[in-house]
Amino acid sequence: MLHSLLSELPRFFGPYNLLFLAQAIGVTIALTIVGCGIGYNFGFALALLRVQRIIDIPPLRWSAIGFVELVRRLPFLVLLFLVMFGFQAGGYTLTGMAVACITIILRAAAIASETVRAGLESVHPNQWDAAATMNLSRLDQLRHVVLPQAWRVILPPAMIQFIQLLKATSIASQISVIELTYAGKIMNQKGFSATLSYGTVLILYYVLCLAVERVVRRMEKRLVLPQHH
Amino acid sequence: MAYSFHFNQVWPFLPYLLGGAWVTVELAACAFGGGALFGLLVAIGIESAPGWLRGPLAFYRSFFTNTPQLVKILLIFFGLGELGWFVPPFWAAVFGLLLAESAYLAEIFRAGFASVNRAELDAAETIGLTRMQTLRHVTLPHLLQTVFPPLANQFIVSILYTSLGAIIGVEELTGRAFNVDSQTFRSLEIFIIVGVLYVALTLVSTAVLYGFGRFVLGVRARIF
Repeated sequence: MLHSLLSELPRFFGPYNLLFLAQAIGVTIALTIVGCGIGYNFGFALALLRVQRIIDIPPLRWSAIGFVELVRRLPFLVLLFLVMFGFQAGGYTLTGMAVACITIILRAAAIASETVRAGLESVHPNQWDAAATMNLSRLDQLRHVVLPQAWRVILPPAMIQFIQLLKATSIASQISVIELTYAGKIMNQKGFSATLSYGTVLILYYVLCLAVERVVRRMEKRLVLPQHH
Repeated sequence: MAYSFHFNQVWPFLPYLLGGAWVTVELAACAFGGGALFGLLVAIGIESAPGWLRGPLAFYRSFFTNTPQLVKILLIFFGLGELGWFVPPFWAAVFGLLLAESAYLAEIFRAGFASVNRAELDAAETIGLTRMQTLRHVTLPHLLQTVFPPLANQFIVSILYTSLGAIIGVEELTGRAFNVDSQTFRSLEIFIIVGVLYVALTLVSTAVLYGFGRFVLGVRARIF
């Protein structure tokens, strides 16, 4: 078995296959960055809807809570199919890529909203009051007083969630988006061993996540203010 | 919206889907239980194993937290199948999920160990508590306080991840949704019902775990 696996290696890592895998990695990265880039912004807005000191409109607050609780409590796979069939029912046939992007955006928004809310709640209410006493507007209270202190609570989990979402993009393979996991499936169907195909994909994900982790650590150091005592 | 809903074609399958929800719970319990056992061993290992073992254990944790569950499941199911060991889909899903689970739980347990203060153990010894009394009155309360809430969260997360089993043919909630879909073609209706069932399942778990933590363990924390 090991022998036949080794004999497949040169063919498996031929130039065309390498290019194919590289493209697939590109799709995985693109899905993650687009999904998180847009989703995190929505999540931030959703979190603000739930902070009564900034926006105090109960129906908006309740819908934000409802959305977040719904999306957090659905498996990614089910959410993916709900988005796909939902748009189909509405008369829009989207590409797999679009469905995957929308699903990741929804997911990222729901998760980020919880993280941002926890971060904002970690800042003592006196800070808001003090800023209000200084006659800062609500938005300025948030921007200049509360957020700078909240970042250090928000960023570490947000970075971990970024890697979680990167891993979740593998589920987009189920609607034929040619990202890294689907590429593994195609290699397997081309006749290469499943152990080799999926094993390579697994290692590539590991390398990718480690690389992201390293970049993220560096950004974290730059973004988070030192803690004052 | 031109789509007309036909839930009436799907209702007859509700008991079948609910049976799937039970399989989901079984899958989550197996993956979580096994993961907790493994995770505890890994955590103890990282804390107290001889130096040469710590590197591999740290790699184990880093590797399995940084790779997608789906690929692990596919590798176990198709990879081992190819080598001549056919693993039933249910167990392939359990082991695939268990690997990541153990890595996450190891981290949680380590945080728990770290929360027990050396000085408090010395104090317990000074006032003459026996080893069992120390465990019961000093170590365990700390450990539960830090470990229970993240463990409960992780259990609910693992319920959601079990849906990946459907991809290799486990007939849990999502898998049964696929089956009903291929019989009735009412895809949207089925996935709405299945979505509601997942939300209900996690809400019930949240309530039960919160109650257990609050009234049995005396830990008050927000769960999931």
